Amino acid sequence: MPQTPSWVKQLKPSGPQGSDLLASERAASNVPVEQLSELLFTKETIQKKNKILATLKSEEMFDKSPNYYAGRYEYFEKSVARAKALRNLKLRENWTLEEYRIACDLISEPLPYSLHEGMFVVTLKDQGTPEQQERFTKPADDYKIIGCYAQTELGHGSNVRGLETTATWNPERKTFTMHSPYLTASKWWIGSLGKMANFACVMAQLIINGKSYGPHPFIVQIRDLKTHEPLENVHVGDIGPKVGYNTMDNGFLLFNNVEVPHISMLARFSEVDPNTSKYVRKADPKLIYGTMTWVRSTIVMQSGSALARGVTIATRYSAIRRQFTDRDEPKAKVETPVLNYSMVQIRLFPLLAATYALHFTGKAMMNLYTRAQETLSKGGASILADLHGSSCALKALSSTIAVEGLEVCRRACGGHGFSSFSGIGNWYGNYLPTVTFEGDNYMLTQQVANYVLKSARAALAGKAAKNETGHILAEYLKKKDIRPSFDITSSNADIVSAFAWRAASLIFDIQNKRDNLKTAWNDLLVDFYRMNKAYAQYMVVVNFYNTLQNTKAAPEIESVLSTLFRLYALHTLDQEASDFTATGACTERQVAVARSTVEQKLLKEIRPHALRLVDAWDFDDYVLDSSLGRHDGKVYEDMFYRASELNPLNRVTVDPYPESPVCFRKVEEAHPKSKL
Amino acid sequence: MPDFTDNLKPRYDGTATLQAERDASSINVDELAKHLLSRNGFLERQQRVLNVLSKEKLFNKDQLLNLSRPDRYYLGLARSKAIQRIGRKLGWDDEDYKMAEYLNDEMSPYHLHTTMFVTTVREQGSEEQKAYWLPKITNFDIIGCYAQTELGHGSNVRGLETVAKWDPERKEFEIHSPHLTASKWWNGAMGRTATHAIVVAQLLLPKQGKAHEYENHGPQPFIVQIRAEKTHQPMDGIVVGDIGPKYGYASMDNGYMLFDHYRVLKSALLSRYVDVSDDGKFTRHGHPAVLYGSLTFVRANIIMHARLILARAVTVAVRYLAIRRQFRDRDSTNEQEDEMKVLDYPTVQIRILPLLATTFALHYTGEYMYMLYQRSRETIEKGDFGPLAELHSASSGLKSLCTMLAADSIETCRRAMGGHGFGGGSGLVLINADYLSKPTVEGDNWMITQQVAAYLIKKMTQAVKNPNNKAKDPTDVLFQTYLQTRSSRTPKTIVSSSGIDDEAIVDAFQWRAADLSYRAYQARVVEKKPWTKLMVQLHNLSRAYSEQILVTNFYSSFETTSSPLSAPTPAVLRRCFRLYSLYTLDTFASSFTLTNAVTAESTYALLDAILELMTELRPHAVKLVDAWSIPDWLLDSALGRSDGKVYEDLYDRAHRRNPLNKITFNPDYRSEEIVLGSGDGGRDLLAKL
Ligand SMILES: Cc1cc2nc3c(=O)[nH]c(=O)nc-3n(C[C@H](O)[C@H](O)[C@H](O)COP(=O)(O)OP(=O)(O)OC[C@H]3O[C@@H](n4cnc5c(N)ncnc54)[C@H](O)[C@@H]3O)c2cc1C
Ligand SMILES: Cc1cc2nc3c(=O)[nH]c(=O)nc-3n(C[C@H](O)[C@H](O)[C@H](O)COP(=O)(O)OP(=O)(O)OC[C@H]3O[C@@H](n4cnc5c(N)ncnc54)[C@H](O)[C@@H]3O)c2cc1C
Repeated sequence: MPQTPSWVKQLKPSGPQGSDLLASERAASNVPVEQLSELLFTKETIQKKNKILATLKSEEMFDKSPNYYAGRYEYFEKSVARAKALRNLKLRENWTLEEYRIACDLISEPLPYSLHEGMFVVTLKDQGTPEQQERFTKPADDYKIIGCYAQTELGHGSNVRGLETTATWNPERKTFTMHSPYLTASKWWIGSLGKMANFACVMAQLIINGKSYGPHPFIVQIRDLKTHEPLENVHVGDIGPKVGYNTMDNGFLLFNNVEVPHISMLARFSEVDPNTSKYVRKADPKLIYGTMTWVRSTIVMQSGSALARGVTIATRYSAIRRQFTDRDEPKAKVETPVLNYSMVQIRLFPLLAATYALHFTGKAMMNLYTRAQETLSKGGASILADLHGSSCALKALSSTIAVEGLEVCRRACGGHGFSSFSGIGNWYGNYLPTVTFEGDNYMLTQQVANYVLKSARAALAGKAAKNETGHILAEYLKKKDIRPSFDITSSNADIVSAFAWRAASLIFDIQNKRDNLKTAWNDLLVDFYRMNKAYAQYMVVVNFYNTLQNTKAAPEIESVLSTLFRLYALHTLDQEASDFTATGACTERQVAVARSTVEQKLLKEIRPHALRLVDAWDFDDYVLDSSLGRHDGKVYEDMFYRASELNPLNRVTVDPYPESPVCFRKVEEAHPKSKL
Repeated sequence: MPDFTDNLKPRYDGTATLQAERDASSINVDELAKHLLSRNGFLERQQRVLNVLSKEKLFNKDQLLNLSRPDRYYLGLARSKAIQRIGRKLGWDDEDYKMAEYLNDEMSPYHLHTTMFVTTVREQGSEEQKAYWLPKITNFDIIGCYAQTELGHGSNVRGLETVAKWDPERKEFEIHSPHLTASKWWNGAMGRTATHAIVVAQLLLPKQGKAHEYENHGPQPFIVQIRAEKTHQPMDGIVVGDIGPKYGYASMDNGYMLFDHYRVLKSALLSRYVDVSDDGKFTRHGHPAVLYGSLTFVRANIIMHARLILARAVTVAVRYLAIRRQFRDRDSTNEQEDEMKVLDYPTVQIRILPLLATTFALHYTGEYMYMLYQRSRETIEKGDFGPLAELHSASSGLKSLCTMLAADSIETCRRAMGGHGFGGGSGLVLINADYLSKPTVEGDNWMITQQVAAYLIKKMTQAVKNPNNKAKDPTDVLFQTYLQTRSSRTPKTIVSSSGIDDEAIVDAFQWRAADLSYRAYQARVVEKKPWTKLMVQLHNLSRAYSEQILVTNFYSSFETTSSPLSAPTPAVLRRCFRLYSLYTLDTFASSFTLTNAVTAESTYALLDAILELMTELRPHAVKLVDAWSIPDWLLDSALGRSDGKVYEDLYDRAHRRNPLNKITFNPDYRSEEIVLGSGDGGRDLLAKL
C-alpha cells in the first residue's frame, strides 16, 4: 500500500472536534474529578498505579498496539514472553505483590503464570504441612516449580464431589496411584497447565482400601524439569481456542496409573497415615472458605471497574458522536451528540450508577472481611458466615451486571462498537468467564439459599440477630402484620427499607415452601435465583447508602453520588417492579412514579456530570486501548490511524476475480503465511 | 500418534443418552421439519449443497479459531472464489449460492456484490445503466460493494459528508471528501476486494442562475470504479483500505475510502428515480415504492434467518445439557443413582426452553410476512402496498426485536453451558461474534424503533380523530376497538384454576400495545412533550407492538396451518405458544399491569405456570431441536453433535487438532527463549511486534 498521501494526512474530522467537545463537557460540570478518584481508590494507590504505568509504557514488550491482529498461536507466544518479562520487571523494580497485581491489571490480559501465582502457591501455603512447604513452596516461590490448580474435569465442574480422577493408596509401597479411568476424567480448563506448568495441584478422589474419601489435593509433577516434555504416562496439552482468554494455555491432563510419593497429598487438614493406612482428619477444612470468600469479594470489587471500562468508552464516544439534529429543533446547525438522546442515556447512565454501586459494595465487603479476620476468635464467625453467604450472592449478581453491561455499552456505540478498536470486545471476551468460574452464577444461588434458609429459621425461632441478614429478617417479622409503607420518592432510607422488605419477604417465601409445603429442592431453583437477586440487590443498595452516609467529601461529590444512588436504586426497582408490588414493598403507583423519576428527572441530572464521572475512574488510555474511549477525544483520528497504518491487511493486494485461484497477489513485508 | 488415551470412554454414554431422549417423545421429526422448512425446497437444497461443500478440504472448519485476521480474510476470499467456480460447474441458481453461503457460515467478500451492489443497480439504475452494468456484475467482470456509511455518520444518512459536485463545464461530477469523518467506513468488501462501489454522496448542483452557489439535493447513489482493472491498485485520487480487526466478520474486508476531487462521468449517477440534465437541472421521476416492497422482503428474511440462528444456539444447548450430568438429586437418598442431567434443573430450563419456544414464534411471523409480500407483489409495482403498508412500518420493530432476541439467545445458551460454553468446541464463538453485527446493521435496533412509534402515534391520532372510519388494517381495528372499550376495560385473568386462557393472552398483548400507543399519543400529540424525552417510552412501545405481532401470528397459525400435523406435535406447539407468551408476560409484568391488560394477581401465578409448561415440554426438547435440521457440519460444535459424542469430540479437538500442542514452550522466566530448543531468545517475536 502506498504511503498515506498528504491530502489525506491533512484531513480533519468535520467540526466540532472531539477534543473540544470533551473539553466543554468537562467544563460543564463542577465535580472535582481528582477528589472523586481518591475517594474511589485512595491517593496512595493512584500514585503507585501511575508509577507502574510509566514503567510498563516504557517497555516495548508491553506495547498493546499489535494485540488486535494476531492469531491464537502468535498471541499466546507473545503472552509467554510477556509473562516472563513481567516477572523480571517485578524483580528489577522490587514490586510488592500488590504492585505486581496492579501491573497485571493494567496489562489486562490473563498471563500464563497467573495460576501459578494465584492458585498453586496459595493452595500450597493454605493446605501444605511445614514439610511440604519446604519441599514444594520454596521452589515454587522461586519459579523452579511452575504449577497450576487442576480441579475441573471434562465431565465435572460445579459438582466437585463427582470428580473421576482417582488417587489410590498403595499400603506396601506407601505411594498413591493417580489414574484417569474415563475420558471424562480428563482435567480440563486448567489455566497455565496446557503449555507452561511442570507441576499440578490435582484434585482427585482419595481411595484407601477400596473406599472413597472424596476429593483431595495432590501435588504431582507432570513435565520434565529439563526437557519440559510430559512425564511418562502423563498426557497433557492445551484445550484450544476460546471466546476469550486466548493468551492463557488452559489445559487438559490425563494419568495412566502414575505413582507418586506419600508427600504428594497436601496434608494440613487430613492425611493417610503411612503406617496404619488410616485416614486421619487433622483440622476443619472450612478454614479455607476464608480464601474463597476473599476471592469472591475481589470479584465483586472488580466488577465495578470491569464495567466502568465499557461505560467510560461508551460515554466518551457518545459525547462526541453526533447523529441527527433534535427532532424538536429542526433549525439547529450542528447535530446532537447521541449522549443527549434519552434512548442512549437509559442504557448508559444506570450502568454508570452501577459501577459506583458495585465498587462501594465490594469495598465494604473487603473491609468487613478484614474485620472479621481480626475478630475471628471473639465471635467473628457469624460475620464470616454472613460474609460467605453475601459474597456468593454478590459475586453472582455483580459479575452478571458487569458482563451484560459491557455488551450494552458495546452496542450503544453503534457500528464502531463492533470494531476491535472500540476496546470493549476483547475485554468482554476475557471478562466473560467470571460468570462461570469461582462458582457458576446460577449454582451459587443454591449456596445462598442454604444460608438464608438457616437464617430464616433462626429468625422464626426468635434467636437474636447476629448480623445484617438476621436484622432484616427480624425487622420483617416484626412489621409483617402492619404492612408498612415506604416513601421511596423522597427518602433514601426508605428506598433501602423497601429493598430489604422485598428480600426478606422472598426469603420467608422460600422458607415456607421448603419447610412447610415440603417443595422439592429442584423445584425451587428458580425461586432461589429470584431470591438471590433480591437479596444481592438489597446489599448493593444498602452498601451504597451507607457509603453516602459515611463519606465526607466536597458537596458537589456528595450530591452527584446521591443522584447516582437514586438512579441505581429506582431503575432497579422499576426493572424488578412486579417483585416489589407482589411483596408489598411498594405499590403500582409508586413504581410508575419511580419510572418517571428515572426517565424524566435523574437521567437529566446526571447528564452534565457524565464525563467527569467516568473520568474519575481514572483509566489511562493505555489500559483502555480504545479509539472510541480516548481521553483526549481524538476518536476519528485514532480509528483512521489504526486502520490505515497499523493494519497488516492493507499491505496486501488481492486478485478478486473468481476464475483465478490466486488470492493474495502481492504482499508487502512479511505476512504470517497461510496455515491452510 | 497412538497413546493411552485412545481407548478411554466417557463416564456416561452421550449417544445412548440422546437416543433415549428421542425415544421418549413421539413427535414425528420429519413431518415437523417439512412443516417448518419446505419453503423454496430448503431441506432438499440444504442436503444437496452440503454434500458438495463438506467434501472440499478448503471448507474444513477446524482451524478457523486459530487463524490470524489476515489469514481469515485470505481463506474467506479463497472460499468465495471456490463457491463461484463450483456453482458454475454444477449450474447452481441464486438460492443454491445463498445456501452455500449459509452453510459456509462466514461473511463472504463477495457478499455485498451479490446483494446490495447488484440490487441497487437493478432497482435504482435506468434501463440503459442496467443493460450496461448487470451483465458485468453477473459475470464477475467487476466486483462491487455498497459505500454509504461514513466514519462520522451511519444512522443519519442525510448527514453524510461526501459530496458529488456538478461541474457545468465538463458535465461531470467531482466526488470529494472534505473531512476525515467523510471517509467511507464499514463498507463490506471494499477494503481489499471490490473494483467498484456504489458511493452514496450529497448531490450538489449549481443554484439556478447563480454560478458559484450550490444547492444540496440530498444523498444519491453513484456507481464508481475504485480500483484499476489490471493492477487492482486504487485509482488516482482515491485512498481505500481495510478498517482492521472486528468483533466478528474476520473473513470480510470492511473498508474505508476517501476521495480527492475524484471525477466521474454523468452516467455514474444511478438515474431511475433522479436525474441531472446536461445543464445541471435536477429531476425526480417515479415513486420508489419497489424499494419499500423489497425492504419488507429483506426484513422477512432477517426474521427467518434470526429463527435459524436461535435454533442453532438452542440445538447446541439442548443436546449438550441433556448429556451433561452434574450432582445427584439433592432430595434423593439413593447413593447409586446417576447424576442428574442439567437440563432437568429448572434454572437451566428457564434459560433455554423459552428460547426454544421463541424459534417457533419467529417462524410464524416470518411466514406471514412472506405470504403478504407474495400476495401483494403486483399491486406494489404500481405503488400500492395494500396490506403490506402496515407490515412495512411494523417491520422495523420486528427487525429490532428479532435480531436482539437472537443475538442475546446465543449468549444465554453459551453461558448456560458453563465452562465448555466458553470453549471453541461450543460452536457458538464465531456465530456469536458474527451475529452481533445484526442489532446494528440494516438500522440500529434502538434507532429504528422510533419509526415504529412514529407510525403508531400517527395511526392513533387518526383513530382518535375519526373513530368511525373504515378500518384498513389490523392496527386500525385494534385501535378503534381500544378506544371504544377503554373506559369499560377489565383486566384479563390469564392463568386460573381452570387453566391457561389462550384468547386472553392474545387480547392482553394487543391491549398493552394499544394502550401504550395511546399513552405515546397523549404525551406527544396532546401534551406536546419533547421527542427526545419520550424515547425510552417509545422504544418500549415498539417492543410491545412487535411482541403483539409475534403472539397474534403464532396464535392464528393454529387455525390456518394447511397440513395437519400428527399428534402430539400440535399440542406441543401450543405449549410453545404459551411458554413464549407467558415468559414474555412475566418479564414485562409491570408493563401489562400498568396498562390494565392483565390483573396483578394473574402475574403472580405466572412463574408456576411457566415451570409447569417447561416440565411438559422437557421430554420433547431434543426432538424439537432436531426438527430444525441444522446439519452437524454447520453447527461445527462438539457440544451440539446430533450423535451425542460430546466428550470424544472435545478431546479430539483439543488433543489432535490443536496446533499449540505441536510445540513445547520454555516456561522459565530466566530464559528469554520462548519455543524450547529454538534458541529464539524472543527475538523472532519482537520482530513481529
Ligand atoms: C476461562 C476459564 C478458566 C478456568 N480455569 C480453571 C482452573 O485454572 N482450574 C480449574 O480447576 N478449573 C478452571 N475452570 C473451570 C471452572 O471452574 C468451571 O468451568 C466452573 O466450575 C463451572 O463448571 P462446569 O463448566 O462444569 O459447568 P457445569 O457444572 O457443567 O454447568 C453447566 C450448567 O448446568 C447448571 N447446573 C449444574 N449443576 C446444577 C445444579 N445442581 N442445579 C442447577 N443447575 C446446575 C449450571 O448452572 C450451568 O448452567 C476454568 C473455566 C474457564 C471458563
Ligand atoms: C459488520 C458491519 C458491516 C457493515 N457493512 C456496511 C456496508 O457494507 N455498507 C455500508 O454503507 N455500511 C455498512 N455498515 C454500517 C452500518 O450500516 C452502520 O453501522 C449502522 O447504520 C449504524 O450506524 P452508526 O454506526 O453510525 O451508529 P450511530 O448512528 O452512530 O449510533 C450510535 C448510538 O447512537 C444512537 N442513536 C443514533 N441516533 C439516534 C437518535 N436520533 N435517537 C436516539 N439514539 C440515536 C444509536 O442507537 C447508537 O446507540 C456495517 C456495519 C457493521 C458493524
